[in-house]
Amino acid sequence: MGEMFSYAFVQRALLASLLVGTACSLVGVFVVLRGLAFIGAGIAHAAFGGVALGFLLGWNPLVTAVGFCAATAGAIHATSQAGRIRMDASIGIFYALTMALGILFVGLMKTYDARLYGYLFGNILSVTTTDLRIISALTAVVAAVVAVFFKEFQLLSFDPEVAEALGLPAGRYSFVMLLLVSLTIVLSLDAVGILLVFALIVTPASAAYQLTYDYRALFGLSILFGNLSCFLGLVLSYGLDVPSGATIVLTATGLFFVCLALSPKRRGGRP
Amino acid sequence: MTQLPSAPPPAVRFEGVTVAYDGSPALEEVTLEIPAGALVGVIGPNGSGKTTFLKAILGLVPPVQGRIFVGEECCHHLKRIRREIGYVPQASRVDPHAPFRVLDVVLMGLYPGLGPLRRPGREGRRKALAVLEAVGMEGFALRPAGRLSGGQLQRVAIARALVRDPRILLLDEPFTGLDVRSQHAVLDLVVRTHRGRGLTTILVTHDVNLVYPHLDRVLALNRRVYAYGPPQEALVRETLERMYGAEVQVHEAEGRPFVFAGDHHHG
Repeated sequence: MGEMFSYAFVQRALLASLLVGTACSLVGVFVVLRGLAFIGAGIAHAAFGGVALGFLLGWNPLVTAVGFCAATAGAIHATSQAGRIRMDASIGIFYALTMALGILFVGLMKTYDARLYGYLFGNILSVTTTDLRIISALTAVVAAVVAVFFKEFQLLSFDPEVAEALGLPAGRYSFVMLLLVSLTIVLSLDAVGILLVFALIVTPASAAYQLTYDYRALFGLSILFGNLSCFLGLVLSYGLDVPSGATIVLTATGLFFVCLALSPKRRGGRP
Repeated sequence: MTQLPSAPPPAVRFEGVTVAYDGSPALEEVTLEIPAGALVGVIGPNGSGKTTFLKAILGLVPPVQGRIFVGEECCHHLKRIRREIGYVPQASRVDPHAPFRVLDVVLMGLYPGLGPLRRPGREGRRKALAVLEAVGMEGFALRPAGRLSGGQLQRVAIARALVRDPRILLLDEPFTGLDVRSQHAVLDLVVRTHRGRGLTTILVTHDVNLVYPHLDRVLALNRRVYAYGPPQEALVRETLERMYGAEVQVHEAEGRPFVFAGDHHHG
């Protein structure tokens, strides 16, 4: 098994998955605690519109997608803050709109560009050095923002209304959190694809949630499960000669069900 | 109300305050002063603007008309003052599996006052443990908050309000959903805290009989102020009937009035 790590593309895949796994597991804690999974899915699909717009206008697709998704996050946030409709309805509207725009932009293109789909369904085994740079920067930014606003995000995760009444500008911090989730999704897409990003955001944090009542431990366990899923998944996919992204998702899901079975919360026990 | 020259400035002052949601007023032309150190009970039927009254003090719902003072501060400065007010919101359930320990929940009272990156530190933890002891929850610091009973959660919420050494304590329906024993225990805690710290305390409740023997003043509120003054003066049948829009009976027992009121409007 050891020889697999002598290949440069495997080394890059491993490093990329561990970095993406760390960033995703960190923001995943907020996604799980604040119930943001649907908005994550919405943003991930908005990236399609952004990438397509980039190709149409000849701009850098990744940069365009980041801007496009940030704008979408802002629109979702503003619409739900206006309070006339529920958050999930607001997400649904923009989910459909940005997908439709993506299809429209593709239709307006004179030529078909296969790279468009590469941005959405990226392959962990074909990660480039540029991808690695982007992912490293992303992981550093996510870790820094989480560290700086650790207690603010904790209060927001506990109860946004209480946070506001205690004097925290909850709306502003909600938006920062939303931007962080969006940024993580968009910048990870190119390297590992929509499915793997989403799995790494939701599944490790959900697994960690089964095992602890401690907020700090939740982050530690989430990162551990995220990285473990990536490592084991890559090794298994190499050994069994099966697709790596899918194997990582299956490994993460397996870990989740193991945690679910072992959870003291399930038995209603004490921590 | 005339104010003696020597009297300290009021803790809270409303000057012709009207608050509206989507054009329909929740508070109308409210003018009153709450003296520093007083224990005030706000009573009124459901939907009468009691919670809005507290939220207005917190600067969460800006008035469309009039001005609100908390100490010397007014208007948009209330946002900043919010960090110096102890607020116990209406009890909401905490997810039983949520990853928040009691000590963390109490420390949250300090979070908005610190900037980003700064942590409460050892001094903060010492304070949090001290208020937990004061509310009788010292053995629960590391328990998950979601595992507590309603009465215990209410004590923790009070501890979270007290940990910041507030200038005012606001409590919104602190007895709702509690059994009778817990109601009295929480009331006892509120009264002791008020007396021990000389803390201006404003308490919203629909259960006037439970609280009023301890109150300095009663505010009878149904959008407008129907009565504001010492309990014996405010709790008179005619006033309460006008406020509730329903028949009210005030019985004397053991030398104090008991109020029986319908929470419904007739017609």
